[in-house]
Amino acid sequence: MSPKPATPKSRTVLRLLERFGLVIVLLIIGTALTLLQPQFLTSANLLNVARQISINGILAVGVTYVLLTGGVDLSLGSIVALTGVVAATFAHPGEWPVLVPIALGILSGACCGALNGLVITRGRIAPFIVTLGMMTLARGLALLLSNGRPVSNLGTGFLAVGGDFLGFPVQILILLAIAGASRLFLSNMRLGRHIFAVGGNEEASRAAGLNVAGIKTFAYTMSGGLAGLAGVMLAARITTGQPNAGVAYELDAIAAAVIGGTSLSGGVGGIGGTLLGALLMGVINNGLDLLNVSSYYQQIIKGIIIIGAVWLDRRQRN
Amino acid sequence: MLKSMIRFRSAFAELLFPALCLALVCGCDRPGTPEQPAKPGTKPIVIGVSLMNLASEFIGMINQSIEARAKELGVQLIVTDAQRSPEKQVQQVEGFIARKVDAIILNPCEVEASSPAVTKALAAGIPIINVNSETRTAPTAFVGSRDEESARIAMDYIATRLNGHGNVLMMQGFLGQAAQIKRDQGAREVLKSRPGLKLLADQTAEWDRAKAISLMENWIQAHGTNIQAVFAQNDEMGMGALLALEQAKLKEKVIVVSVDAISDALQAVKAGRLDATVFQDARGQGSTAVDTALSILRKQPFSPQVFIPFQLVTRTNISNYTK
Repeated sequence: MSPKPATPKSRTVLRLLERFGLVIVLLIIGTALTLLQPQFLTSANLLNVARQISINGILAVGVTYVLLTGGVDLSLGSIVALTGVVAATFAHPGEWPVLVPIALGILSGACCGALNGLVITRGRIAPFIVTLGMMTLARGLALLLSNGRPVSNLGTGFLAVGGDFLGFPVQILILLAIAGASRLFLSNMRLGRHIFAVGGNEEASRAAGLNVAGIKTFAYTMSGGLAGLAGVMLAARITTGQPNAGVAYELDAIAAAVIGGTSLSGGVGGIGGTLLGALLMGVINNGLDLLNVSSYYQQIIKGIIIIGAVWLDRRQRN
Repeated sequence: MLKSMIRFRSAFAELLFPALCLALVCGCDRPGTPEQPAKPGTKPIVIGVSLMNLASEFIGMINQSIEARAKELGVQLIVTDAQRSPEKQVQQVEGFIARKVDAIILNPCEVEASSPAVTKALAAGIPIINVNSETRTAPTAFVGSRDEESARIAMDYIATRLNGHGNVLMMQGFLGQAAQIKRDQGAREVLKSRPGLKLLADQTAEWDRAKAISLMENWIQAHGTNIQAVFAQNDEMGMGALLALEQAKLKEKVIVVSVDAISDALQAVKAGRLDATVFQDARGQGSTAVDTALSILRKQPFSPQVFIPFQLVTRTNISNYTK
């Protein structure tokens, strides 16, 4: 990329920066926070950060599939609310085995996602509009199913999804498993690589004989299904299914993916970056609370750091 | 069941009111009730009611108390649900004016956008009573509660429990909303008068339980065992703070108080988990609105602003609030 020839050594440094730009940003912010508030770098606090990024992380991994195809999914937050209500409805103590609410939550999310994908590909309608429609539709369904009220009194088995396992929050274990599987799938499986191809050049992919509609529908179904999983995790964390939960969660998820280097125009990006993006957002949130920064400034600082991180990252890439 | 009946009735009233009102009255009221405050021969008083949103539990309770009080007093009601749409609400009030109702009870959707409803009713010479929330245009009378007071009650309770000395954290609602501003104001009044109470930090969790859990987790890291009490400006956030404190095994050492008395919070108070919540008296607001309407119509003296007091709910009086 660089026009002038570089010595092997500086090329290595450049490649490192290119690969780890976001890691460096994270290290800088982490060091600054540790200096200002030593409490930041304790295992208890880092586990907190892990707990707090899990739900956004899962959503961000899901939306990465869609962004890679060149689409967008605005319905995530509403799907979180809907699937949380669905799961909570079947999670009252002593009614169903714990797998039933979890499976139904994921399944209902996947159905919303599949519907998004089918309408987008069959109807040839812009993803922005279709998923915006689903955003309203899923929210309405969540309110309808719950009668507008939180669904509480959930069984202990279900609530364990929000608890700890061997000292680790269950939610971060789920995120790591999902992210690991997604990374392997996207880089090693044929369907995974096809997702990149469709987002990179849709016409060429079609000419090469790829089932573009099917691949896109698959991506939206993954996004919806993972939003369903996030809905289950949120319901377990807040111990209720909330029809009003998850508002604007899709924006945080998309932000995490984009901070992590996934392009909004498709074909470029990946899960590793998305995870780093989610981690960066979580660290900022946690750090500002620890430093007791006032709410007004928090929002301004968050905005600046998000834009700054992407700017620094992109500058190093070019 | 009751709610669907109300909807059914309001749909009827909208469509076929003039023709069917007699039939409705006969159908709903048992004939020969001993008390009959409306004198026989005179036309019964008709009040039009436009509610913000019957799907909300709280508004549903206001509606039930309006209906109960109206029935006691032999007043006829036309109940409509604006479903959160100020535009629909203005249309409903225009409908009431066209039907020449005697008075209107308005539960405004919005401060600005519902104001034309008040203006139009006043211009038509029909007294209008706002219940629970305000409009920019002043109505004939207002019946509701003062949000500042709810926060004051909660903070006073914390002060009493801590004997006036300790560190407090405050979770704010969505910044800039009327309820957040007023609850913040009420809480700060108490903090000012109690120099022994120290506000360690305040931060918004946007009325949201999930955000409140994260905020509380972060506060536990930052302030640890220095925390003596948490005041959350609504119960959702209070429940979030509670969950985070319980997970960190710190709840024994921290008092948590919030506002609204939603059913989850009441259950938590009953179980001894949440220390207190503050109850807004929906029934008192509804029945007082009907009483105020009647006083106006009978040309009796009435107060243009009636504030129904909030009530502190703790484990000692919880049985009055749960079934």
